[in-house]
Amino acid sequence: MKRADGGAPLLEVRNLQRFFPIRKGLLRRVVGQLRAVDDISFHINRGETLALVGESGCGKTTTARCILRALKPTAGEVLFQTGAGDVVDTAALPKRALQPFRHQMQMIFQDPFSSLNPRMTVFDIIAEPLLASGIKSRDQRRQRVENLLELVRLRPEFMQRYPHAFSGGQRQRIGIARALALNPSLVVADEPVSALDVSVQAQILNLMLDLQDELGLTYLFVAHDLSVVKHISDRVAVMYVGKIVEIAETNRLFKAPKHPYTEALLSAAPKPDPRLRSQRIVLQGEVADPAQPPAGCYFHPRCAHAIDRCRSETPKLEEIQPGHVVACHRAREITLKGVDAQANGKPSA
Amino acid sequence: MAGGMLCRPYNRPVKGEMYAMNCAPILSVNNLKTYFFTDEGAVRAVDGASFAVHPGKTLGIVGESGCGKSVTALSILRIVDDPGRIVEGEIMFRRADGGEPVDLAKLDAKGGEIRAIRGGEIALVFQEPMTSFSPHYTIGNQIVETIQLHQDVGKAEARTRTIELLRMVGIPRPERRIDEYPFELSGGLRQRVMIAMALSCNPRILIADEPTTALDVTTQAQILDLLREIQERTQMSVIIITHDMGVIAEMADDVIVMYLGRVVESGPVDEIFHRPQHPYTQALLRSIPSIFAEPRTKLPTIAGSIPHPHNRPAGCPFHPRCADFMPGKCDRHEPQLRPVSASQMASCFLYHEPAEAPQQS
Repeated sequence: MKRADGGAPLLEVRNLQRFFPIRKGLLRRVVGQLRAVDDISFHINRGETLALVGESGCGKTTTARCILRALKPTAGEVLFQTGAGDVVDTAALPKRALQPFRHQMQMIFQDPFSSLNPRMTVFDIIAEPLLASGIKSRDQRRQRVENLLELVRLRPEFMQRYPHAFSGGQRQRIGIARALALNPSLVVADEPVSALDVSVQAQILNLMLDLQDELGLTYLFVAHDLSVVKHISDRVAVMYVGKIVEIAETNRLFKAPKHPYTEALLSAAPKPDPRLRSQRIVLQGEVADPAQPPAGCYFHPRCAHAIDRCRSETPKLEEIQPGHVVACHRAREITLKGVDAQANGKPSA
Repeated sequence: MAGGMLCRPYNRPVKGEMYAMNCAPILSVNNLKTYFFTDEGAVRAVDGASFAVHPGKTLGIVGESGCGKSVTALSILRIVDDPGRIVEGEIMFRRADGGEPVDLAKLDAKGGEIRAIRGGEIALVFQEPMTSFSPHYTIGNQIVETIQLHQDVGKAEARTRTIELLRMVGIPRPERRIDEYPFELSGGLRQRVMIAMALSCNPRILIADEPTTALDVTTQAQILDLLREIQERTQMSVIIITHDMGVIAEMADDVIVMYLGRVVESGPVDEIFHRPQHPYTQALLRSIPSIFAEPRTKLPTIAGSIPHPHNRPAGCPFHPRCADFMPGKCDRHEPQLRPVSASQMASCFLYHEPAEAPQQS
């Protein structure tokens, strides 16, 4: 699963697990495990965008938090290539030993209203990571904040204002400037545009694309909105109840999905064209409970293609074409619809 | 014939455009203005909105935050909170008894008539199914209460009817679920219960304010399907309020596009998506990320952001962001919603000349 040019991936996640104990009763005894992230593996190449998509509760945010070590993984490896070129397993390092690598992975948050401290000026917000990394001179920090604001297309004069003076889109730019303050190589963006208005969403997506080109950033883009994902990502990983069910290059995944859940997701996404009505596959039932997942493939109770094997045996991720991995027993035998097929010949431009 | 403008749904086929065109609207809103009088001045949340809802049809109200779409819904039901007030306009509603239309805007917001209409003839489904229920009562309790409030039935019958409703909206094992508390249900199930509650009194209009925004896409598809199916069965009218053009394309027959309290464009759904006339509608449609796009392509954007309600631009509220801005016209005069084709209306000086005198801002 290495990139064609042979370079090692910037990030490689191997068999990552994160369980949360379920406690009950007076003694808070552990009665079960909620398998939020259940044995997932993927990699992100330098300079690319991998989107992690899925519905709420599928474990995509937990995965992101494990990678940043905001949460300690239960098991597995998170292999990160540092600026110096060596590979560290951030899942195994003790917290203190992580410090030198922290600035190389940064996060952009979903809600631009609650992720900025209302009592701090924009300068203080963006300069905080600079201060924490030991840039003592105020002038130096000032210069850097000015550059960062220009980078995210905000006027440097805004520095002395407080977050309440800004719109949602401007606040998200401030959040991006803060994330970029320490020149990270990996940026984890957790639903960065889902709280924004449509007309502002496009501005932020374009900015993220520009910044990636300018600074050579690598993105892990966590999102539920497939049309946003289509615009920004090189590859997409689809999660369902703590497991990755499919990973493929973006165009491939949208045109020729191989997992029935991916197909249903693509089909359920509302398309802004009334002429495409009523071609949706509506899944029955609900997302499985990660505390009591069904036997076999977690998706089988909702899957139209399920056979006996799916009810008993958990499918493994298998590479069915170069770069296209699927966890489905029947991936090779069933034909699924991609978005172009659903669009009935609508041009994809 | 008593009440010449009454429609006669049984004389003609219910399906098709003819029905809507020949039939008087069940609800027509004219020049509605709802302002909020704050310490910093009046916020014109809804500023002269006009539209009509036809029997058995779905009207989609679409717009971004602050466009007044939700306040419009609250105004119709007369549940606008202080310091908000309807300052002008009328909301004509034809009641089930077939008398003359009543102007909801003129009714006493706490009076008997609006209370009979609210929840009875016009029902509301909110965005957040978690906060719209009381956590202290079982869902059955809450629906039974609604039924008994509007209809003269006993407790046992109301309960039977509640189970029936829960079954209709696709809740598994309704006879057991009825005694559960809202927190015991998933988001999708809660939204189904919310719809069951709204349907409990056979409303003639269902207002759904962002009914699927808090839900996942696969659940959203289920709920939209459910709404459509119920509408087909009951022939009620639906007003669906959303920021999501995808949901509008999926559900609406007619659409109004709002921006900063004003209706900027209205028309049949196909025209809105395939022949948008107002620069805002055009720009909005272009800026939506598309599932059909090539990966890593830039989106056309709308410059700037939505102004703060206290800094509402003079003239056309969209002019500072508009690609077709005409100085001296758009920044000084307010355009009116005028027909631009047989079925479509737009509020833009590209299609009509300003009135003589500039309007006060």
